[in-house]
Amino acid sequence: MDVVLEQYLDLNLMGEEFGFVFKGFLETLQLALISGFLALAWGLVLALLRQLPGKPLAPVRFATIAYIDAFRGVPLLLVILIISGSLPFVAEGLGLPRSVGIPQWFGKPDPFWYGVFAITVTYGAYMAEVYRAGIEGVPRGQMEAARSLGMSHGQSMRHVIVPQAVRRVIPPLLNDYIALMKDTSLVGVIALVEVVEAGRTVQAETLNSSALTLGALMFLAVTIPMARIVDRLLAGQQARFTRGAPSSA
Amino acid sequence: MGDTLLELEGVHKRFGDLHVLRGIELAVARGSVVCVIGPSGSGKSTLLRCVNLLEPPDEGRIMLGGRQITGQTEDGVDFVRRRVGMVFQQFNLFPHKSALENLSLAQTSVLGRSAQEADDKSRALLERVGLGDKVHEYPERLSGGQQQRVAIARALAMDPEAMLFDEVTSALDPELIKEVLDVMRELAAEGMTMVVVTHEMTFAREVADKVVFMDEGLIVESGSPEEVLDHPREERTKRFLGLVFEH
Repeated sequence: MDVVLEQYLDLNLMGEEFGFVFKGFLETLQLALISGFLALAWGLVLALLRQLPGKPLAPVRFATIAYIDAFRGVPLLLVILIISGSLPFVAEGLGLPRSVGIPQWFGKPDPFWYGVFAITVTYGAYMAEVYRAGIEGVPRGQMEAARSLGMSHGQSMRHVIVPQAVRRVIPPLLNDYIALMKDTSLVGVIALVEVVEAGRTVQAETLNSSALTLGALMFLAVTIPMARIVDRLLAGQQARFTRGAPSSA
Repeated sequence: MGDTLLELEGVHKRFGDLHVLRGIELAVARGSVVCVIGPSGSGKSTLLRCVNLLEPPDEGRIMLGGRQITGQTEDGVDFVRRRVGMVFQQFNLFPHKSALENLSLAQTSVLGRSAQEADDKSRALLERVGLGDKVHEYPERLSGGQQQRVAIARALAMDPEAMLFDEVTSALDPELIKEVLDVMRELAAEGMTMVVVTHEMTFAREVADKVVFMDEGLIVESGSPEEVLDHPREERTKRFLGLVFEH
């Protein structure tokens, strides 16, 4: 038993390395906050593009579906690698400024921003599907009522459909967000010292995993409360649903 | 009663293999009330939905105020929807907005009225349909009859030249039907042009200038309420009215 405690819960080691691991965790949080915000926005854009009406816009819908299928179907790690490995060359070849190819905005290193791009384009695709479910869950009559009042498709979406859809999909979006937060650890492979990479560095130096356990605890300190919030929101919606919402009848 | 406001010529509508409207000819005079009756599945609702192009017709012409609105141009869609209000069986109020906001939204976003202007207009209309004390209530806190009156006021807020009513009392409990029909009676008395798809024969008899009986996608018979409801010429009309008045 002692060896287990020593390998995973060496409190001395945890104390010594707390600062280093926590610094990595702050990096993780920033990565999750920025890419999470961007993925939420990009996902909504994709969902709206997919819902554009009319025959002339069919190519847009088709391209959006292809995009969503592609990014839902490949591993995030692969996306991180192809972006970080080639974006500098691609940007240079296209004559874009160096700050696009090797972004170091707001004092963050370029692996951070490659991670943000990769997570945004990948999770945007997941979240687009969640939004879509929400949009399609709004009764048809809502769009018809809005259109019959003379509102355009865009106005109807903005004022009538999306506000109702977003309310419905906040719990599943939060679930995706928890998954996104955990997946930020993949950016460690391109040398961003986020919490897992920090723990791994300590592990390599000390041949002891306690710093990684510490990282896990930091994750849980954020993800468990979020999971509880999701549960509570879902329970609230369930109660509303069983009570019956006469307005949506 | 004056000139013809709304005119349908040879209107056809198909949903896949289903031929729902099979050549509709109908003229609605300005200021008149036309009640459309008929068995379910006869195409009554589709007829209304074609008029404001929620369902664009496959064939035929629809004229509004002398202007053709069919022909797939977005112009026609805007033109008709700004001039013709629609009220639905299921109310379709926006559940995330208060009664007042339900009325104001399209006024500001479509007509470009100022928030104040829209607000004043909305309050006056809610007052007029007897809901002056409910302006800030959300739809789920209102009864079906109240919701439907809000929906009528919402359509009126756009200052339409004509109103379409699609079985607006069919989803209501019996004791709530009267308050909605009363609003519609008043509207008719004020000279609003109305096309009303309804099962309320008493209402049709009392308010309609013209009653239209539809069956299987065609207008079988039309005329004054006395002609169609009391002295129907067509066998199908007689059979339908027999079934309706039986219970």
